[in-house]
Parts: sequence; structure tokens; C-alpha cells
Amino acid sequence: MKDMVAELPGLDRIRKRFIEMLGERQAQIANHGLAAWDGVTLEDINGNLAAAQAILHQIAGSAGSLGFHELGQAARACEAEILEHLDGPDADLAICPGEMIFHLDSFVAQCRTEIENNS
Amino acid sequence: MKILAVDDDPIILELLVQFVDALGAHELMTASSGGAAVDLLGKPGVGPFDCFMLDIQMPGMDGIELTRRIRDTARYADTPILMLTAMSDKRYIDAAFAAGATDYVTKPFEVSELKARIGLVEGLVQARKSRTKKIFAAKSVSGQSNAIELHEPISIYDVDNVIEYTAMENYVAQLSRSALFGSTTFAFTIREIEAFHDAMSPFEFYSLVSDVSEVISDTLEGHQFLMSYAGNGTFVCITESGWRPDMTALMDAANLSLSRTELFDNDGQRVHPRVSAGDAVRLIWKTGNSVMDALAEAHSSAEAASAAHTRSLTDFWYTADQRA
Repeated sequence: MKDMVAELPGLDRIRKRFIEMLGERQAQIANHGLAAWDGVTLEDINGNLAAAQAILHQIAGSAGSLGFHELGQAARACEAEILEHLDGPDADLAICPGEMIFHLDSFVAQCRTEIENNS
Repeated sequence: MKILAVDDDPIILELLVQFVDALGAHELMTASSGGAAVDLLGKPGVGPFDCFMLDIQMPGMDGIELTRRIRDTARYADTPILMLTAMSDKRYIDAAFAAGATDYVTKPFEVSELKARIGLVEGLVQARKSRTKKIFAAKSVSGQSNAIELHEPISIYDVDNVIEYTAMENYVAQLSRSALFGSTTFAFTIREIEAFHDAMSPFEFYSLVSDVSEVISDTLEGHQFLMSYAGNGTFVCITESGWRPDMTALMDAANLSLSRTELFDNDGQRVHPRVSAGDAVRLIWKTGNSVMDALAEAHSSAEAASAAHTRSLTDFWYTADQRA
């Protein structure tokens, strides 16, 4: 997929802003993921997963256009995994799948690498 | 064009500003939420807008609800609305079209695709400016100045799951292969539509088409579908749900409902429209132009059924003696 960076001039400023926001967003995703993992009630778990999904959705929507293709795809995969869980048969159980948290953790690590590489 | 873009992600808004700036010739305003957009639309001196670009998934008022709000405004009843959506929003796309969206662009954007979509919208805006067909939504019954061509697709307002024909074409063109697997297209044609068109004023004709669309929409209730008036008295429908419609049963149900609905012309005379149904055409294994061909096939089969019905009213079998 072509990205806007190759075709539109002057996107460096937006890329920089994206990286700055990625710092805040990865921290929020980590916090929500942890809160979901530690959550006891269904509301706690699903509420935090939904909050993480909303942030992943934003990253997935813009990362690819700015040249961060792998990050965008990883965000999309994590988002899809959460949505599948929230729409699935376990959605009404107070369960937070460990595999999902592992993937979120990997995504957060990937965010940190991108931040380091682009700062 | 004056465009209003609404997205809760500031990065997307910045990207759109940059993109529209690079395109030139357009003016872009942005809002970071559905509520902020509604406030902006209500401000005197802001707008009118020629096009909207709306994110579907937003906290609070989402893009679908915002589309409904915009469509409820007479000024924006048929202004192009381009939805901005991620792949995972597919489940919302039907709802967005049903609410009045014209087209959609998937995130992450590609410059070429975005440019093409904006170009299509611009063409639509220009065509509309020259036609100003929305007169029927706001003007009085006596304002009969704008003729409607028989073959012309008309925008129908406020009927569930009825979308503009342009939106229908955009929707079908972007259906994924997996969606096509369970999709079927079919159509209904109002019988003797030429006679109605010749005898009626533009407003009466518009009202007839709108009323019939409502009856068909009600008949299809309970099924997932989108429908559009394609001109020539024909309504083209599409369902993605895997439902295989029984066209004869649907036609009978629609006609029964029409017979029970009291429709009148401006002189208070009752009109008795009936519909014919065409073939249900499955979209499985079809791609690109062949999907559009399937729509055309459904369309033409409904018109052929209508024509056959009309002929059957006047065709007689003569005996050899009578013929002599």
C-alpha cells in the first residue's frame, strides 16, 4: 500500500506529532490492558478492553498513511482480537484472555521501538 | 467545494487538511466530534457545506448518528457524505449507507483513492448544482417548475434503507469478495410507469415513487437490505445477508400492501400503482464490472416483467375463425 509520505509533501510535521501522540497512546493502552488483566468485574475488564480498542483503532487508522505500515497492521490485529472477544461467546464472562494481553504487550513494545527510532 | 471533516483523531484531521491543501481549490473545516459538528452547522455564517467527510467510529455521537442529523436538515438532504472508515468498521457500513452516506473511504488513506473519491463527489456536487432537484423536499405542491425525466434516479428521503442511486453504486462497487458470497440483487418496477409519468405533475410523480418505495421497504422489513430508485419506475435492492428472496411472494406482498394503501393525486383521484418483480441475481463469484452487470440484470428483468404484465392485459389469443 502506498502511503501519503511518498506522495504528499510536508507530512514530516504530522509524522512527528503522531510519534509524540504515540507515546501517550501506548501508555494508555498499557494502562487499560493492565487494568483489564487485573479486573475482577465484567465491567472493569470489558470497559478497559473497549478503551484500549478505541485507541488502537485510531493508530490503525492513521499509521499506514504516515509510513508506519507494520505498526498500523499490528494495531489493527490487536483491535480485531479485542473486538472478536467483546462480540464473542465469552463477552458476558469476567474473563480477560492472557493471549490478548500478551499481544497488547508486544504492541506496546513495538510502539516504544518506533518512538525510539523516530525521535 | 466547502468541506466539513469530522474525526476524533487529530492526526486524521491534520492529514485531511494537508491533503485538501495539496489538492487546492477546496476549503476544509474540521470538527473533532459529532457534537462539535452539529454546533458548527447551527452557527450562522458557517457553511453551507458542499460535502461532508465523517469518521464512523467516534465516542459520543458516532458518524452514523451524525449522518442522520445532517440528513434531517433540509439544506443538506442530499449533500454528499463520504464516510471515513477502517476495515473493521465493515459492520457499520450498511448502517452508514442506510443513514444516508454517499460513499466511503477506508483508512489508512491512499492519496490516489482519496483523490478519486473527492473527484467523484465534486462531479456530484456540480451536477446537483445544475439540477437543483431537491426542490421537492422543500417547495410547495404548487411549485411544478422542475420536470423529472422518466429515466432519472430520484433521491428518496426518510424511507428506511432507501439510499441514493449513486450511493448504491458506490456501495456495490466496494463490496468485498466475502460480502459478495452472500449477496443477492433484485428489483421491482412500477407497472405502466410511463402512463403515471405522462399524467402526473413532477411533485405527484415524486410522491408516487416515494410512496411505493415506502411500501416496498415495509415489505422487506425484517431482512437486511438496501434499496435505491434507479429511474424508469424501478427500485434496485441488494441484500448481503445470505437471504434468497422469493420474488413472486415479495411482489404479491408489495401489491397487497399497495392495494391497502390509499394513494391520491393532486385532484383527489385515487391512484393504483402495482409493481412487477424481476429475477433475484446472486453476486457470488462476480467481480468488478460484472457486479454492476448483475445490478443491471436485476434492473432490466424487473422492467421486462413489468412490460410483460402490461402486454398480457392487451394480448389476446384469437381462434383461427376470429383471425380470419
